Amino acid sequence: MPESLSKIPGGMRYHFGREARLRRAVEGAALAVFDGWGYEEIATPAVDYYALFERGMGRDEASRAFRFTDADGRLLALRPDVTSSVARAAATLFAAAARPLRFCYAESVFRQRPRSHAEWKRQGRQVGCELIGAGGPAPDLEVLAIAAEVLERLGLRARCRVTVNHVGVFNGLAGQLGLDDEAREQLRRLVDARDAGGLEDLLARRAEGGPPSALAARLSRLSGKREALAAARALVSNERTSAALAALEQVWETVEALGLADLFEVDLGDVAGLDYYTGLIFKIYVGGAGSRVGGGGRYDELTANFGRREPAVGFVLDLDAITEVLARADSAPENGETTPAAAVEGESLSGRLLEAKGRRARGERVRLALRGE
Amino acid sequence: MQAEALELLMGAGVRVSAEALASRRLAVEDEGGGYRFIFVKPADVPVYVEHGIADCGVVGRDVLLETEADVLQPLDLQIARCRLAVAAPEGARRAPSGMLHVATKYPRVAAAHFGARGVPVEIIGLSGSVELAPVLGLADCIVDLVETGRTLAENGLVVVETIAESTARLVVNRASYQLKASAVAELVNALSEVVKRGC
Repeated sequence: MPESLSKIPGGMRYHFGREARLRRAVEGAALAVFDGWGYEEIATPAVDYYALFERGMGRDEASRAFRFTDADGRLLALRPDVTSSVARAAATLFAAAARPLRFCYAESVFRQRPRSHAEWKRQGRQVGCELIGAGGPAPDLEVLAIAAEVLERLGLRARCRVTVNHVGVFNGLAGQLGLDDEAREQLRRLVDARDAGGLEDLLARRAEGGPPSALAARLSRLSGKREALAAARALVSNERTSAALAALEQVWETVEALGLADLFEVDLGDVAGLDYYTGLIFKIYVGGAGSRVGGGGRYDELTANFGRREPAVGFVLDLDAITEVLARADSAPENGETTPAAAVEGESLSGRLLEAKGRRARGERVRLALRGE
Repeated sequence: MQAEALELLMGAGVRVSAEALASRRLAVEDEGGGYRFIFVKPADVPVYVEHGIADCGVVGRDVLLETEADVLQPLDLQIARCRLAVAAPEGARRAPSGMLHVATKYPRVAAAHFGARGVPVEIIGLSGSVELAPVLGLADCIVDLVETGRTLAENGLVVVETIAESTARLVVNRASYQLKASAVAELVNALSEVVKRGC
């Protein structure tokens, strides 16, 4: 075979055997939980206009997509995310449907340029859910409870951590410090990298003392359980940040009431995706995976792009990352194992087929002996 | 950088025996058995940390800038201080509109630096002895790490412009930072005490 045919493009791979079964089992377990909470499965187009994703994910993220042109010259993309498309459907196809809408999905997504060295894959599979058309704390907590149940069903609860934050914590501070876009992004990057020294330098250069700077400087390290919120509260002097912390306190109270406090952690230094999310944000980490395996949050601005502004919250899990952890751990719910197939042998083909048909009717697994086997 | 980093760690109570260091093993445990050390090339440090094979790493900011590594950087260790700079033969004058040929081990940093200034450049990627390139006429200037400037001077080069200051950083994997939060915090705090004392 010529090299051009045997070679696999970078970041692409096969899944087969035990791993393929495990993937399906994990996907099935997650979808069953979503179904149990009343979420309807939705499948989105694999190819869509690039403009959809540019609006839906922001220019930077969307630009990682595989892009090509349609017959009329318009720019298309191979689906780099699912949420954009679901949000559009909510505003168009389901414009007249009663709110809230509950959707779930398991779809392959593609990125031509991965985000980091560790993320070499260019095809992934997102399993997720979206709750559209309801605001306030209840939908946020519903989605967190669903995420916790999925992790529990997969046997990952003990080695998982879900970090929660609210975009208002940082946005309120940046507003109070009166930062322009560039300085704001600089501050965000430093908090994101947990670069405490860099933060102090930046704030010192701006020569602004007082509570906002004190909180900003500590933001990168304020994480933990309820006490992290209390520590932040003591330093806050703007309404937006206060409101965000109050919202997080409410989340935390419910998390405690649900007996999930061991799984969750407040992380005020989580400032990724601030231009996308508008409220609660959360990230899911599992021991054995070098980067996060999922995340989500509230995105109340997204649907406005499609002509209908309404509150929305959701999350996705990275199926491949979770499957990899489970495959190594041998702790998957069903471990992807199946009962061995019964060999169906005999002289005549019709006899073998008849026996196989009968066994299949009883739900058994069979493997038909072919000529020469 | 390795010796300095090990000294800082010793100050923080993490000691690697001389015997382990003298051996040719690339992975050794500290004396307390709480940490396992792996010794890799600087450019590979962010790779191990991004994948979570190593929870933490010590690496220069120059490498982080070049690799655009997606890792946390909670602490500036204030060692291995140097700068990424543009250097050219002394007295050399660049043609006002011509293409600039830049030899470097830092192609991304160099491209970003000249790109931001709108200067058209051809980046010539090298893996060592970059100072030779302008001397032999391969390039007009270089982008390289400058510590004392002695190597530059010996090859008739002078620093034209500093791109970025660099020191060694403690870097941490994003997942480890959450999943091993207390162990990571302990190390960061202990090291930051040592760094403060050193100042």
